[in-house]
Amino acid sequence: MIKYNGAELLERLCLLFGPSGCEDNVRDFIAEQICDVCDKLYTDRAGNLIAVMESGAGEKERLMISAHTDEVGFMVNEITDDGYLKFDTLGGIDPRVLCGKKVTLGDECKKISGVISSKAIHHKKKEERLNITPVESMYIDIGAKGRDEVLKYLDIGSYGTFDSEFVRFGKDGKKLKCKALDDRLGCALMIEVMRDIYPEKDRLPIDLYFCFTVREELGISGAQVAAQTIAPDYSIVLETTAVADVAGVRESERVATQGEGGVISLIDRSTIYDRAFVDFALQTAEKNGIKTQIKKYLSGANDASHIHKSGKGVRTLALSAPTRYLHSAACVADIDDYSSMLSHILAMLRCWDDKTLTRR
Amino acid sequence: MELKELIISLCSMLSVSGYEYRSFERLRSLVGDSFDEIEQDGVGNILLIRRCEKQSPAKVLIDTHFDEIGMIVTGISEGGFVSVAPIGGIDSAILPSSDVTIYGKRDIRGVLSSVPPHLRRDSDSKKLSEISELFIDTGYPKEELLELISIGTPVGFAPVYTELLNRSICGKSFDNKACTAAAIFALSDIPKSELAADVYLLLSAHEESVRTGGVAPAAFGIDPDYAMVIDVNLAAVPDVPKSETVEYGKGISISVSAITDRRLTKMTEELCRDNEIGFYRVAAPSSTGTNAAALCLVGRGVPTVDVGLPLKSMHTYNETISLDDAEALSALVRHFVCSEKIKEAFVV
Repeated sequence: MIKYNGAELLERLCLLFGPSGCEDNVRDFIAEQICDVCDKLYTDRAGNLIAVMESGAGEKERLMISAHTDEVGFMVNEITDDGYLKFDTLGGIDPRVLCGKKVTLGDECKKISGVISSKAIHHKKKEERLNITPVESMYIDIGAKGRDEVLKYLDIGSYGTFDSEFVRFGKDGKKLKCKALDDRLGCALMIEVMRDIYPEKDRLPIDLYFCFTVREELGISGAQVAAQTIAPDYSIVLETTAVADVAGVRESERVATQGEGGVISLIDRSTIYDRAFVDFALQTAEKNGIKTQIKKYLSGANDASHIHKSGKGVRTLALSAPTRYLHSAACVADIDDYSSMLSHILAMLRCWDDKTLTRR
Repeated sequence: MELKELIISLCSMLSVSGYEYRSFERLRSLVGDSFDEIEQDGVGNILLIRRCEKQSPAKVLIDTHFDEIGMIVTGISEGGFVSVAPIGGIDSAILPSSDVTIYGKRDIRGVLSSVPPHLRRDSDSKKLSEISELFIDTGYPKEELLELISIGTPVGFAPVYTELLNRSICGKSFDNKACTAAAIFALSDIPKSELAADVYLLLSAHEESVRTGGVAPAAFGIDPDYAMVIDVNLAAVPDVPKSETVEYGKGISISVSAITDRRLTKMTEELCRDNEIGFYRVAAPSSTGTNAAALCLVGRGVPTVDVGLPLKSMHTYNETISLDDAEALSALVRHFVCSEKIKEAFVV
């Protein structure tokens, strides 16, 4: 198994098929990437992949670092007589980003290509041309001649994801475009953190639990089970966050800016983050000259929602890559932010300070 | 080169209406050797000619428009965001989060913007965003971008091709370059002695933006004895009445229309029957929606037959065709230009 890193690791991860509930391909790939940089590796009953890194002897506090393996996708809910597939979305996808897109349908074993389509513009009435095409009016074409042929490959309940090229574009190729950057980017960061920190893990004052979680996009978060069984004292959620640092958007609604480092959330739609942890993260970044920024808009939610309320409560931090056009076939992240976040996480682990962290 | 590879090569070339000329040299080096002459006119039409061995030869014109829908740059703003206007009938519904290439001093990849659900408000309108409200994210600082592109630089959808079941392929610009490819494929290796006439394969310009734009001046210069117009045709899909579409995967369509030549149409059908080429009629009473409308009136009038390649998801970057149908089309073109019977009927 080749060990990948950086943009190449991101590319491999993003192209994997892993809609919520069908994350096996992603889990298998990650397990191979990290099997030699942890003390224990297992999949829990919810499907989360958990890698444990134990510090030296003695009872230690536990830090759970997590990223979700699933991506937004589709599920087939009807096969028409003439061989087209009707579908529903899995996770929050705006119907505006669906028409014309290529998709992969199938499951962890078998996959087939298709195209999301609706009436051609030539057949649309004026009203239809002006308004959003609802998902119910779309269908997926796999080139089948009829229902019987579809059934050789797919069935009701078959999964789907966007089929999207991984492209590096922009100045010096710093922008990364693909489906599923949310949250394979977080997964890639964890893999690289594990490789970096493993040789020095005995010197850490804390045990590390790296959790590659399932089903975040549905809100029925696998992370909840992971947190309940691990019972961590602290948690860092590595994510992507939707930003709008683009043309025509007012400064106050841009959320954060690409190229300015990982985004630290103070509050989102489901979590008020631990202020001491936030301060520790900000101070660590400042001390080490690492770019980081605070999320300037109240939006979104992630696995932190379930983790921070689990057990007796968990001090939780969310560090997210500012990402444009989330939940589409063409999410865009910046490789500089990825590098900043990697440095930031490693710096926090290397100067872990429970006095700052437990201050009130 | 296989027909599929030829289709993909042609479709990957920039030919947004008005910018067809930018691919002339690439086209010449790809297929030029198979033809006796290749030229470009003042409108942007490209003409590929195969000469027969006959004295005072007749002239048959095969028209396939070569231009494709696309966009042009209308503005460049801070942060490297580029605004665009459409060329041809682009459905705004397919634009958000699509992959594009800006054909500047070098090719620049970019992404058309979309608003993620996290940042949408419940009160957001259900109206589609106009293309003027979207922009291309290029990832370049404005100053650097200004050195690479300017107002008017053409933009196309990124060329990515995928195979579906039953020899279907999907990608951009099959409208109409899959037809162009089928015609080139047919014409490039017919022995000279078998050609019934000099064959003028017209890769006409401007069809998508100024309907039937390039064909008339080109045909005026050629003054053909008879002609075949080939364009894609809307194939049957869910929720559209059968009468407004053609069958997919069963061959080509032949239009029956007041504007096309009735005799030539019947003879073309006969040619299909004789050579076991799948076809079926479509009724296009007063308009074929193709170059045939302009061509039939050129000069002293051109007897024209209108032939269609069935295509799904028209005017998207995942237009879908069946290679079986494309091969049927290619076979028909081959028999058409070799038919002494048709030539004799139309050369007085």
